[in-house]
Amino acid sequence: MNRRVVLLVALGLALVLIVPAVTFACSVCLGGADGYDPLTDAFNWSVLFLMAMPYAVVGSIAGWIFYSYRSAAKRRGLLKKKAPALRLAWNHKESGR
Amino acid sequence: MLIAYMVRESTAREAVEVQRDENLRPRAFGGGEPPSPPIATEEPIIGNSRLALLMFLGAEAMFFAGLIGAFIVFRVASTIWPPAFQPRLPVAVTGVNTLILLLSGLTMRRAVKAILAGQSGRLIRYLGTTAVLGLLFLAIQGYEWVRLIHFGLTLSSGVYGATFYTLIGCHGAHVLGAVIWLLVVLALARRGSFTASRHTGVVLCGMYWTFVVALWPILYGLVYLY
Repeated sequence: MNRRVVLLVALGLALVLIVPAVTFACSVCLGGADGYDPLTDAFNWSVLFLMAMPYAVVGSIAGWIFYSYRSAAKRRGLLKKKAPALRLAWNHKESGR
Repeated sequence: MLIAYMVRESTAREAVEVQRDENLRPRAFGGGEPPSPPIATEEPIIGNSRLALLMFLGAEAMFFAGLIGAFIVFRVASTIWPPAFQPRLPVAVTGVNTLILLLSGLTMRRAVKAILAGQSGRLIRYLGTTAVLGLLFLAIQGYEWVRLIHFGLTLSSGVYGATFYTLIGCHGAHVLGAVIWLLVVLALARRGSFTASRHTGVVLCGMYWTFVVALWPILYGLVYLY
């Protein structure tokens, strides 16, 4: 399942990079693809900015909440480094055989 | 039956009760570890009020993002900016005003630290300083606006004026609201309503003030400098 997802994502990225015309679904982007149009450029930048904002806002809030809980847990000594459940031998000398 | 009556009660109890030896208690598979102590739940790490204000600030951020997005469209689409025959914005004076607002953010942070340390006197001083700086910021902005209107830059004079007054005006309205909130918190602080253990009101006001202060340099850079 993970391999399939990775392959699909890689295929999508490859399409965008190698054959960009295939991914131009928006008429604004397609209309401005031939030459430089300030209005198209303006809409592109505005749309990119507005697309990024929800991720920035939600990521900031979630990150701050995560940071608050981690620092509170550290203060209470709950983030102790536990001993590994299974000690692995890296070579035959450590395994004792 | 006769033998049972000849035995002392304490002896009989010892014979009947099962000895509860801690070492004989079955352990978890693999040895196990003692359960971790529960997190103390006297007070949540992030209170409900702080979380609610965070959600509100997120909504405010998206509101300003929409206005900034509209400004970006007008600004980038125009080959000449500012448009011809439009008054120039007071960049230097507003730069000084920006420093005043940033200083108010610093004093607000000091006020929050003071109440967390239980120092009510310092809290009142820093809150008062923050309020004075915030009102000074609004006064200078208002004075510059009156001058710009006198020079012909109005809300209906074109795209330049419309975007300027919409963006800067919305921020000014938020600063005004923050100043009113701050004055209420200052009045409560003078009455002794806040202590080291009861400081949520000050912290919430500080969060909103920080948002308003942090937003201004972005708007200044975009509207005045770009």
